[in-house]
Amino acid sequence: MPIARAAGRTAVRLGAVVLCGALLAACGSGSSGGTSDSAGGKVTLTVDLFGSFGYKEAGLYDEYQKLHPEITVKQSDTEDEADYWKSLQTRLAGGGGLADVQGVEVGRIASVTQQQSDKFEDLKQYGADKLKDKFAEAKWSAAVTQDGRVLGLGTDVGPEAMCYRTDLFKAAGLPTDRAELAEKWSTWDGYLALGKEYKKKAPAKSAWLDSVGSLYSIMIGQEKERYYDGSGKLIYENNPAVKEAWNASVAAADAGLSAKLDQWSPQWNQAFAAGSFATMPCPAWMLSYIKGQAGKGGSGKWDIAKLPGGAGNWGGSYLSVPRAAQHKKEAYALIEWLTAPEQQAKLFRDQGIFPSSTGAIEEVADAEDPYFSDAPTGQIFGDAAKEAPVQVLGVHDQNVAQQITNALSEVERKGISSDKAWSNAKKGVDNVIG
Amino acid sequence: MTLTGTAEAGAAKAPPVPPPGRAGGRASAARRAWRTFSPYAYLAPFFTLFAAFGLFPLLYTAYVSLYRVELQTPGDLQWRGFGNYASIFGDEFFWTALRNTFTIGVLSTVPQLAMALGLAHLLNYKLRGRTFIRTAMLLPYATSVAAATLVFAQLFGRDFGLINYVLGLVGISPVDWQTGTVASQIAVSSIVIWRWTGYNALIYLAGMQSIPSELYEAAEVDGASRWRQFVHVTLPGLRPTIVFTVVVSTIGATQLFGEPLLFEGSISGGISHQYQTLGLYMYEQGWGFFHLGRAAAIAWVMFVVIVLLVGVNALLARRRSRKEAGR
Amino acid sequence: MTALTAPPNPPTEPVAEPAAAGRTKPPGRGVRAGRTLHGGRLSYLILAVALLFSAFPFYWTIVAASRSNADLAKVPPSLLPGPNLIGNFEAVLEQADIGKALLNSLIVSGSITVGTVLCSTLAGFAFAKLRFRGRGMLLALTIGTMMIPPQLGVIPLFMLIAELQWVNQLQSVILPGLVSAFGVFFMRQYLVQSLPDELIEAARVDGASYARIFWSIVVPIARPGMAVLGMLTFMAAWNDFFWPIIALSSQNPTVQVALRQLGGGYVHDQSVIMAGTLLGTLPVLLVFGLLGRQIVGGIMQGAVKG
Repeated sequence: MPIARAAGRTAVRLGAVVLCGALLAACGSGSSGGTSDSAGGKVTLTVDLFGSFGYKEAGLYDEYQKLHPEITVKQSDTEDEADYWKSLQTRLAGGGGLADVQGVEVGRIASVTQQQSDKFEDLKQYGADKLKDKFAEAKWSAAVTQDGRVLGLGTDVGPEAMCYRTDLFKAAGLPTDRAELAEKWSTWDGYLALGKEYKKKAPAKSAWLDSVGSLYSIMIGQEKERYYDGSGKLIYENNPAVKEAWNASVAAADAGLSAKLDQWSPQWNQAFAAGSFATMPCPAWMLSYIKGQAGKGGSGKWDIAKLPGGAGNWGGSYLSVPRAAQHKKEAYALIEWLTAPEQQAKLFRDQGIFPSSTGAIEEVADAEDPYFSDAPTGQIFGDAAKEAPVQVLGVHDQNVAQQITNALSEVERKGISSDKAWSNAKKGVDNVIG
Repeated sequence: MTLTGTAEAGAAKAPPVPPPGRAGGRASAARRAWRTFSPYAYLAPFFTLFAAFGLFPLLYTAYVSLYRVELQTPGDLQWRGFGNYASIFGDEFFWTALRNTFTIGVLSTVPQLAMALGLAHLLNYKLRGRTFIRTAMLLPYATSVAAATLVFAQLFGRDFGLINYVLGLVGISPVDWQTGTVASQIAVSSIVIWRWTGYNALIYLAGMQSIPSELYEAAEVDGASRWRQFVHVTLPGLRPTIVFTVVVSTIGATQLFGEPLLFEGSISGGISHQYQTLGLYMYEQGWGFFHLGRAAAIAWVMFVVIVLLVGVNALLARRRSRKEAGR
Repeated sequence: MTALTAPPNPPTEPVAEPAAAGRTKPPGRGVRAGRTLHGGRLSYLILAVALLFSAFPFYWTIVAASRSNADLAKVPPSLLPGPNLIGNFEAVLEQADIGKALLNSLIVSGSITVGTVLCSTLAGFAFAKLRFRGRGMLLALTIGTMMIPPQLGVIPLFMLIAELQWVNQLQSVILPGLVSAFGVFFMRQYLVQSLPDELIEAARVDGASYARIFWSIVVPIARPGMAVLGMLTFMAAWNDFFWPIIALSSQNPTVQVALRQLGGGYVHDQSVIMAGTLLGTLPVLLVFGLLGRQIVGGIMQGAVKG
């Protein structure tokens, strides 16, 4: 029966072929699917962040691993929060590739508590309620859902100040003393006037500030109500505070004070070392970014003064544990430790990431930063944190802000009119929300 | 979907397991059955995958485009009728993207094919080291979009880019390759041109080599110059190949995506959407703003655009050849 | 490649005709070119310029990858390679997990290549040589979708893999990658001309089953075509961009996803970004260096047939 035998063999072969693709796929995913895992009781915790949280740089993971030898922490990060958020949403929707700990920006926390509360662990079940008193009240409550679930632990807040280059100021004949500058630019008008003075005598290829987008962002951080009102209604279009920050930014662009470098772009990164701008509005978390970009050569050239126009807050973050995380309990233990006052204080002294924990704020009041000409960072940012308004948060805060800063960059880079840019921003917002 | 569904279900049901080692009479029946069904068994692997990952998504796109679907909740579909299409057509940035797709398409396709034609003509000569030259020409094609774009983005840098430096040497002031509409579109197009010119040159070369040499000999006997030979023998002989490359390039240009995305890393195609293509616009709506339903509608609009463009191409080609035939 | 260019049988379909003609080197043209020395020199010059443009970005990648971020922000820029290549490689391997990306890309592209070539040869053989109901319709369907960009199906595809919880898993990229209408068409065209009907008839008279015919007759003859399809598929899969950046993430990237991540500010240092670009491109360049001739031949062959 040669035929039957041949047919039998054929069947096997054909079956093999049909299965081949699927098998290959399975092998592929098996050998490298997502997070690596435990061998002999060892656990690898993955932490996925954006921007610079500074944990690795401050040696906090090393310290934690020493305390818990069975744990290895592996961090990945994306510089631009918008990119990070996109990727996080995709993975949340598709249930794959989520880290054990995910960072969440304060501008997104309302989206998490209002729209995606079922995708994150309620940290109360791990005992998070007992931490409530350790955090600033507003920071804590922003991550709690209406029915009382706790979806994230606060890391830092972003009290605002003004960073500036003393060497460039000197070259342009401007004063470099913090107190004197704080007085001169007690208002935003004063800041812009000083910018015009700088421009007259500035070194070649050096502008007053990096971009008007960062000017806008820092100014809007001084407001209580920005894009939403207390009832959750979108009010940015008619909010005079938004308009005011917008107009000041346009004025700065018109006066040619900006180096026209979009924040987070490669050009912006390169410009730190090149000294393309003399001032940069800086929330506390920006300090470590400046250090990273300007490098060792920038040490001692920078200083920090009080922000024009009063105190404000820009950003700050949370650490959350997704439902789909592999090691939830261990992940919670890690974030509880990372957000504890001692670690937050250390992080500030080391990296300038300002604590959201009340205990830590008191502890770092005397901190100074040698990189920034020994500026009393503890005092400057501590005062700002105390005086900054408690902001009303909304689901699309981050998206609205992004459309507006993008439109401002059209004004400064393309020279289009303020009205046209504003209508572009509105269209962009409609597109996102629509 | 239903058509192939049944065909392929039939194929899947035809089990390639004839009973092994049975009596001779049964074997012959099995053989007959095997003969009837085995072609489908050969097709089964491809068509199973094709149905699941090729055809189904395409058709389902049309269905999804009528619903409101958000990325965060992909299982939740809300009927919207033609609302997604209405909001696209009402969006200024859609028209910008459509226009950009067209202008970048022309800016990249025309010079690319023209240069490819010229290079193919040269490559068709007897040359020393021609294998080397051909292979080297094709190197950009082997580079990925991502790699090529990252390198070009660096070269086109406004403040520290090499291209602006070279322009500076000949007295041209720095161009802001990212911001200007024309400048940025030229920059993006140049990436496409760089990657595809060599590839198209080889395709033209293949076409040229299939033109019978008698035609050239006859032209030479008639005393035609090399230029006239090129115009009157090479070009007509290449018509099918040219139509093919135009169609392929048109389709490629319509779905251009990686170059504009990575040029500045902006899903909006620059601050004023100045080089956002339809492909990028779709990505922005779907994975930037999380509106999957609307992105599906854009996909269908792109599909229609492609069908229209290919149709116009075919029509033009046919009219040309009819005209020539009538002469 | 010689096997590719010499089918044992006269082509049975008009599509194959140009290929047959392209095979013979037109002698008259070579003479023509050789005779005009002047034009020849100009040709070399133009080709040399073209090659320079082709090659410069590669050279620049090496230069940038071997310098430091500060070097790249200098005016005038340095045009010679610097000393930092190894350091930048180390940095990008540590910061962006390019090592994992390379491994993933190898798995993905390898699986897609093997699967596509097998599926395409099976289906291509059936379309080329077997008679069955619905053949014309199925073939038309296959060819019809060749023109449709896969981008248009990504939304349902994403919903599908989200439903299956496959986001960030390699199979979400591999399985859709196996669908290649072009591959089926390519193998069909190849087999139509290079597989003699008599051979199949003879085997059939001997009582061999279709399957036996496939393994002992079709595959040996199809092997050169399968090789070309394999190379083209591998390169396309390695360089695929749109779908992988949707389906995967920096947690489990292919090389292209990792490069997008690099470009999106994952790493701040331009020279490190260029080092990553170089690492991600090297494997294809290597394949190209080894098999360039065959790939060139394959593309020209495919062009005439497609």
